[in-house]
Formats: sequence, structure tokens, C-alpha cells
Amino acid sequence: MSSLLQKIPLIGKEIPWLNDVRQKGAEAFAKTGVPTAKTEAWKYTKPRELCGDDFVIKQSKKDSDWKADLPFEAYQIRFENGYFCPQESTLPQGVEVVPLIEAMLFHPEVWKHLCKMADINKYPFAALNQSYLNEGVYIRIEKNVELKKPLVIISHTTPGEENLFFNLHNLIVLEENAAATLVEYHTWSGEVKSRYFANLVNEIYLSAGAHLEHIKVQAEAFKANHVALSVVAANKDSEYKSFCLQRGANIGRNETLVKLQESGACAEVNAAYIMNGWATLDTTTDIEHLSAQTTSHQLVKGVIGGDAKGVFQGKIHIAPNAVKTEGNQLHKALLLSNTAEVDVKPELEIFADDVKCSHGAASGELDEDQLFYMRSRGIGLEEARQILIDAYLEDVIGKIKHEGIRNWVEKEAK
Amino acid sequence: MNKINSIEDEAGDKYKYGFVTDIASETAPKGLNEDIIRLISAKKGEPEWLLDFRLKAFEFWQTLSEPTWAKLKYDKIDYQDLSYYSAPKQKVAPKSLSEVDPELLATYEKLGIPLKEQEALAGVVAVDAVFDSVSVATTYRAKLAEKGIIFCSISEAVREHPDLVKKYLGSVVPYTDNFFAALNSAVFTDGSFVYIPKGVRCPMELSTYFRINAKNTGQFERTLIVADDESYVSYLEGCTAPQRDENQLHAAIVEIVVLKDAEVKYSTVQNWYPGDKDGKGGVYNFVTKRAACRGANAKISWTQVETGSAVTWKYPSCVLQGDNSVGEFYSVAITNNHQQADTGTKMIHIGKNTTSKIISKGISAGFSNQTYRGLVRVSPGADNARNYSQCDSLLIGATCGSHTVPYIENRNKSAKLEHEATTSKISDEQLFYCQSRGIGEEEAVSLIVNGFCKEVMQHLPMEFAIEAAKLINISLEGSVG
Repeated sequence: MSSLLQKIPLIGKEIPWLNDVRQKGAEAFAKTGVPTAKTEAWKYTKPRELCGDDFVIKQSKKDSDWKADLPFEAYQIRFENGYFCPQESTLPQGVEVVPLIEAMLFHPEVWKHLCKMADINKYPFAALNQSYLNEGVYIRIEKNVELKKPLVIISHTTPGEENLFFNLHNLIVLEENAAATLVEYHTWSGEVKSRYFANLVNEIYLSAGAHLEHIKVQAEAFKANHVALSVVAANKDSEYKSFCLQRGANIGRNETLVKLQESGACAEVNAAYIMNGWATLDTTTDIEHLSAQTTSHQLVKGVIGGDAKGVFQGKIHIAPNAVKTEGNQLHKALLLSNTAEVDVKPELEIFADDVKCSHGAASGELDEDQLFYMRSRGIGLEEARQILIDAYLEDVIGKIKHEGIRNWVEKEAK
Repeated sequence: MNKINSIEDEAGDKYKYGFVTDIASETAPKGLNEDIIRLISAKKGEPEWLLDFRLKAFEFWQTLSEPTWAKLKYDKIDYQDLSYYSAPKQKVAPKSLSEVDPELLATYEKLGIPLKEQEALAGVVAVDAVFDSVSVATTYRAKLAEKGIIFCSISEAVREHPDLVKKYLGSVVPYTDNFFAALNSAVFTDGSFVYIPKGVRCPMELSTYFRINAKNTGQFERTLIVADDESYVSYLEGCTAPQRDENQLHAAIVEIVVLKDAEVKYSTVQNWYPGDKDGKGGVYNFVTKRAACRGANAKISWTQVETGSAVTWKYPSCVLQGDNSVGEFYSVAITNNHQQADTGTKMIHIGKNTTSKIISKGISAGFSNQTYRGLVRVSPGADNARNYSQCDSLLIGATCGSHTVPYIENRNKSAKLEHEATTSKISDEQLFYCQSRGIGEEEAVSLIVNGFCKEVMQHLPMEFAIEAAKLINISLEGSVG
């Protein structure tokens, strides 16, 4: 049994129905356990390594004087070592941000979606997360409200003496025709004295006509583990547009499951990963076209150096009768060293005929001719390589609509 | 909609090759155990080492469980309810065609195998006809022997060329490879053996026709092809099976060894009985095919047209060990009614400058499901490896499924890998274009499908290309609405 499943007193443990929910998560995780290399969904990312160390679940908050320095205006939500830290920003009308534990106890409407969107029997780490259901945030954007400034969820960790393990669970609900930009920023400061393991679940519910742009930057400490699952339910004519940059962590996995469940729903799931050292960065997507006239686009680009390993698993599923759908996907990887590795599994699963689906995957190295061209013009090798890498990533990062965020991500990607 | 129904009804009787030849077979009792394996080995008068090989495989097989990762649904196979040996009863082994049971020859004639008319076919094809499990006639041996080419049944090879068989058998597909390979290694009854000596270019296409006949007999063929340095051979494999209601199991192994500068071209047309239009009956086809390019500049090319079988599980693979070796895989798979196919290839790049190409075309119709499953792996030492993969799927009708599951693993930065896959239906514009020019709907579909498959079909040898084009049309009849 993994040390990840520990008995710790959580808030609300005396409430039977809340205990039940957590218990279900614990049971589901105990049944599957930590996935092995034989688990198809974890084939290329070594989950055993994720859980190799003893992790400790901290029960006390620790404030830090670290300040996020974001070059764009935003409403901030902060988590420090996995605990919610109240912030002093005032939210506009029509937006509600409530700590998860408070929402679970006093906003019964959250139970319409909370822990309902992903099948925990299929996602062991989501099951584990559910067994610790406590920390996180509930965000609700009211009908027809369009949020001008982005909402930023910052998860900041200060690695301490012990290997820290924390779980965050966010529920984001956009009501009819609401629109918002959500940024997730996972970062750290201090000294890397220990490993830590962040296990995250986002449940995102988009009502008819809602629009969400979801940008994530994973810049965890190089010894950290980061496992995240975002589940999105997109209803009629809603739009989910996401971009995830992974550039930190020892093992990082960002998994996105989008359910396009009503006609007109569309999703754009883009990602980039940049890595060195011994890291394994995994981008996994599963786009389910469950209704007719739904569309999805994916573009994922990776830059892999050192002894690192990049993993991309992308699936497009078209349900029977989900006709007039369009799904496409492209993954490209750039290998910078001879010990780098990339493992790709793009998958199409199609049960309807009137569809247009495609996927493409390519991998290669930097073009020698282009490098030579620049070097012959007096640009140093390192600089020339950087220019080529920046240009290579430009088209995927360029898909971020919000200009301030785009510039910030470009800097983060360097 | 009436039109569709009428065509579909017709499609029900379309399996041209569904007949049973009445020949007394000598069949082993049902079940699988050590005694049966000893019986098979004894019947074939095999040497001790081969019996050991079989027993080891059987022992290993018992530790395995049937793989479930493929996107296939079928009733559990009861391996103890099958008979593992069946041979047409004949007192003396035939020395020439005239001694062969005339009823058997009549069967082949119905199938269109040019066994009798081969002279007329100007000696293009030498047929090693396999009826159930024992080779009953092998032709053109003399002409091949002149060049030093060995083309015979594997049992004969075990007797006459034991050194070659011992050296290469199980060297490409070891019995530990997978569940079905272990089963085959334990109970294989017959198959073909080909050896092309150094520097010889095989003057004709070698061909074998497999045929499953006796009731409840699984067929476990084993083919071993060895192409020595600088040699060339083109090998054809074609299959038909009689119509039956019970599922028939087939678990074959094809092993190919390609040495320095040699080239092997392996073509398959598979049209075993796919079951009736309700998915009843049909052949279960679990095949392990693999070629190893052992020397520099070796080349292997797989071409397959898969239209038959109720269940297909088949991944012809290329292990590119020699520097500059080349692997190719061209495939057309057509599934209709309730057929299921999980097929694809593996390209393992080990040597430097190795290249591989995958062209896979899948067509699903009716209630069928089809999966392309492929692996491209580049090892750290495979500098400048190159792979191009293209998998296109065509869907006909709203009740079928088409899936693509490629695995791409790159561990060398100088490797250039490209993979593309598309899935769509026959466009209304294309159909309208044809129909507005007076081409009927069925004919238009067949025209479009043939165009869709052209890239693969052109890699088939002449004799096969014609048969394959006809097969595609037969397979798709009744699928258009």
C-alpha cells in the first residue's frame, strides 16, 4: 500500500455524507493502487517513481512572504503549500470565489458537479484526490457576466524538510453565456531540500454559451511531482480554450478530459513542454465528442533536452451518432540531445461516419542548415538555438488570446 | 432504404468460397495437453529437439493468459474444445499431381488456384498448397532446386534441412513472444519453408494457399523464410475457407530472416470466411508475423489485403537491425457486417540509417470495427532513422467504427519521424460527381474505394492485384446506402 493513502483528520470528518465521498475516493484508489507501467494510460510515465518516497501530509498552514509578480492585472487566489490563503482583492459583481470546504458545507449546489465529472475508477490520482477532498476553490460566474480581468489561481510551494504531499480540487462553474479567463500558476521558491507532490483536479462546467480561456503554467521545483487532471463538460455552443505550459517538475503530468456533450460545443486544447535534466513531462488529452456538430483542435509542441522524456497521449473519441464533428490534433517534438526521448500515442476512436478527424505527429532535431545560416551571420550557437526554439514554440503560445498573459507565458517559456 | 436492404440481402450469399470438401480426415481427439503435442510430433516423425521446443512452448503458454488489449470482442475461446491435428487421409504420400485426391484438386479448382493450369500460367507461380495442415502437393520443386532454392513444407524441411530449421526457427518470433505465438510453437502442424541461397534471385513468385477445412480444427501454420546474402524472393500467401457456423481458430506464425543485401517481399490476400451478415461464424485469425533485417542493406516489404475473418489480430513487424535496412508495410483492411480487425505493424529501428514506411488504408462498413495499431520505435543507436506513416480510414455507414492507435517512441535526436492519420467518409461531392456522369452508386463507391486503396494495391504482384481488386468489391457490396 502506498504511503500516499494516510489517515489524517480532515475538516468535516464528523459529517457522514462528506466522509462518504472521501471514503469512496479512498476505496477507488485502494482498488487500482498506483498505476504501473502496464496501465495503458500510464504506459510511458513511470508512476512508481512518483510515489517512491515517503510523503507527509501537512496539517498546518505556513504563510510565506513570497509575492507573485505577474505582469498583467488579475484577481488572485492563492494556495500556499496546498492551503488556501485569503487574499485582499475585491471581486466584481457576479463572481463568487469560495474555499472548497466552505462551498461543500454551505453551497449545496456544488454537489451537482463536484466529484461527478470524472469516473474515479479510471483516474487513480483523482480518486486519491477525492479521498482528501478539502482544499481548493469553488468559482462561479453568473449568467451573462463577462469577466474583464483574468482570475489567477496561484499554487506556491516552499519545499521544507519533509516530502510534502498535497491535494487541490477546484470546481469552476460558468453559467449561461458567462465568459472568463482563468490562469493557473504552479510555482515554488526557496531551497529544494525535499521533494513534494502536488495532486490536482479541476472540474470545469461550462453552461450553454459560456466561454472559458484556461491557461496553465506548471513551473514546479525540479524535484517535484505534479499530477493534474482537468475535466471539462462543455454544453451547447460553449467554448473551452486551453493552453498549458509545462517547464518544471521531475515528473509532470497534465491530463485534460473534455466532454463536448451538446451540439455547437468546441474545444481548443493546446500545450507546450520544455524540459531538461531527468524530467518526464506528460501531456495527456482525451476529447470526447458526445454530440453532433462539435469541434476540437489540439496543438502540442515539445522541446526535450538532457536525459528528459516527453510524453504525449492524445485521444479523440467520437461517439455513435456524433455526426458533423471535426477533431484534429498535431503533436511535434524537438529533440535537443542524444539521450532525450519522446513517446507519442495519438489515438482516434471513431464510431460515426460523417466526421472529419485527423492527427499528426512528428519528431526531429533542430535544422542544421538554419543553425548554420545564423552562425554564418555572427550569431552564437546557443543564441541561434534559442532563436529557433522560440520560433518553434511561437505558433502554439501565440494562440493565447489575452495579450498580457501571452507575453508572460513567452517569458516563462524561455 | 429499400434498395439498401435488397443489396444487403444479396450480400449475405456473397461468400463465393463457402463450401466443404468431403474428405475423410484423420483428426486428433479434442483438447490440448502434453500427450497431444507428443502425438503431433510423433505423427510427423520429428527429431527430439523440436519436441523439446514444442513442450517448452506449451509449458510457457500455460503461464500466459489471452491478451485483452486489442479492441476486439469475441466469445471466449475454449482451447480444450479444439482438435489440434487433422490430416487428410492418404495411404501413401503423393509423388505427383496425378496421385492427389481428385476431390481435393476439384476444391482448388473452385478456388481458382492454378494448380492444374499452372503450366498455362507460364510458370509464374509455384504453389505449395496447404489443405488443413499437411502439404499435399508442392510444385515446381525441380525448377527451384536447380537454383538451390528450397521451397517445401516445414515438416519436410525439418527432415531434410534440419540445420537450417534449427538455426532459424524461433529466432525471429521466440515462443515466449506472446500468447498465440506460444500456442503455435507448441502445436504447429505445417507451413512452408523457404531458403534462398546467397546471390540467388528467385525466378518466380512463391505462393501458398492456405485452406481451413476439417470441422473444429484450429489451424496452426508456421512459415519460415530465410533470404541469404544478396538474394531476392517474392512470396504470396492467400487464404480462403469454407462457410461454417462455428468459429474457427487460426494462429499462425510467419518468420522471415533477411540477411545482408537481401530483399523479401511478402504479400497476403486474406479472405477467410468472415461470418454471415449477423456476425455468426467466421474465422478467428490471430497471427504473429515478423521479419528481421539482420544484415546491412536488407529490405523487407509486407503488403496485405485483409478482407476476411470475423476477428483479425495481426501486426506484421520489421526489426531493422542491419545498417541501411528498409522496412515497408502496405495494408488495406476492409471490414463489413460484424467483422472486427485490430491490425497494424511494428517498425523497430536499431541499425543506423534505417528507413521505414507505413501506408495503411482501412475501410469499415456495416457494423464492423477496425483498429490500426502500430509501433514505431527508434533505439538510441539508430542514427538518421527515418519513418513515414500514413493511416487513412474510410467509414461507410453510421454504425461502424474506425480507430487509430499509433505508438511512436523516439530515442534518437537525428531520427525524423512523421505520422499522419485521417478519418472521414466518402464525400457526397465525389459520389455526386460520379453519379451525375451516369455511374451507379455501388459502382461509384467501388471506384472511390479502389482509388483510396491504390497506393497499397500497386505494391501487390500482378496475379494478386486482380484478385484483390475483385475482393474489395465483393467485400463492400451491400454496404452503400
